[in-house]
Amino acid sequence: MADKPKIELELNPRGIPKAPFVDNVDDYIGTKDGDVEGVIKKFQETSAKYRYMELNLQQRRKALLAKIPDIEQTLGVVTFMAARRAKALGEPEPEEEDAGSDAGSDDIDALLDGEEDEEAAAKPLTTLFELNDTLYAEATVKENGQVGLWLGANTMLMYPLAEAAELLSSKLAGARKNLTEVVEDLEWIREQVTVMEVNFARVHNWDVKRRRSAKGGEEKSLMGEKEAK
Amino acid sequence: MSLLPPEDEGDGIEVAWEDQQRINAFSKFNTRLVDIQDQLKAKMEEKEYYDDLQMELELADDADPVLYKLGEAFFSLSLPAAKKQLRKDTKRYDSEIAGLRVKADECETGMKELKVQLYAKFGKQINLETGPEI
Repeated sequence: MADKPKIELELNPRGIPKAPFVDNVDDYIGTKDGDVEGVIKKFQETSAKYRYMELNLQQRRKALLAKIPDIEQTLGVVTFMAARRAKALGEPEPEEEDAGSDAGSDDIDALLDGEEDEEAAAKPLTTLFELNDTLYAEATVKENGQVGLWLGANTMLMYPLAEAAELLSSKLAGARKNLTEVVEDLEWIREQVTVMEVNFARVHNWDVKRRRSAKGGEEKSLMGEKEAK
Repeated sequence: MSLLPPEDEGDGIEVAWEDQQRINAFSKFNTRLVDIQDQLKAKMEEKEYYDDLQMELELADDADPVLYKLGEAFFSLSLPAAKKQLRKDTKRYDSEIAGLRVKADECETGMKELKVQLYAKFGKQINLETGPEI
């Protein structure tokens, strides 16, 4: 344990380096020629770098946390419209996940509202759209099996419903994957910051103890360096 | 959360690398748990709205269309269609909540194990309690 290599650059999957853990302060300072101040300065630099990365990642995390529900909502609407469309065209409804667990109750309901459903699907889709905060206007949507997806950069593209759902699903999966990675990185950085804090405390305490034990060593703080020779 | 570096206590018990890793792991679980609990709380709240809606729809008049909010717009749905959509949405929330619960449990078990190990070694020199239950 004592003779651990000092600079082993282990990286996490996104290339964030691991902080070196100071296992034995005597040994560690010893190899640095007793330059306590230099060591502490270096620790502070490393900590600052980690903190910078942490800040960046926290912002990314925030952006993703806002983006994911957005995509989820859009996807929800698109699947809803796709289901309506399928029904209007008389296609058998792809009852995806619903067919699972409580199929029993669903079946009964499906039997009950089958007819009415078809009727409803044939009617145009009436909606209330938000024009502005607290202001809604009624709109009737002419369904043509396509939706416009806002792609950003002032661009909207028309997609067939199925394709739109596919695109949104893949975007959603991507965003979720990104988020888990960012969270992983944040946890990793937190860990390294803790290690650095502990390192700092250890070296500092070690230094204090040494100064105290060195007779009359209080006049000069640089004394540590000379003594180590 | 309070993780005192044991050195602060003066006559510290040496913190070996494994202990440091355990402390790190504990801290990681703790942050993760707080995060999950936040999400869980938000989801439960949403779910409650859906539950209320369910009750309302049970009482609703068959002939009136329901304005159902999907995304940012309200859709005029017939009562059965609204119920169906509601079932779908509720189910999604249920599975999300269940997933979060599983993750929270994982964190808690992990923390419990680490607590035993860390308290065994450091005793009173370490404090791993979060304080009042959230």
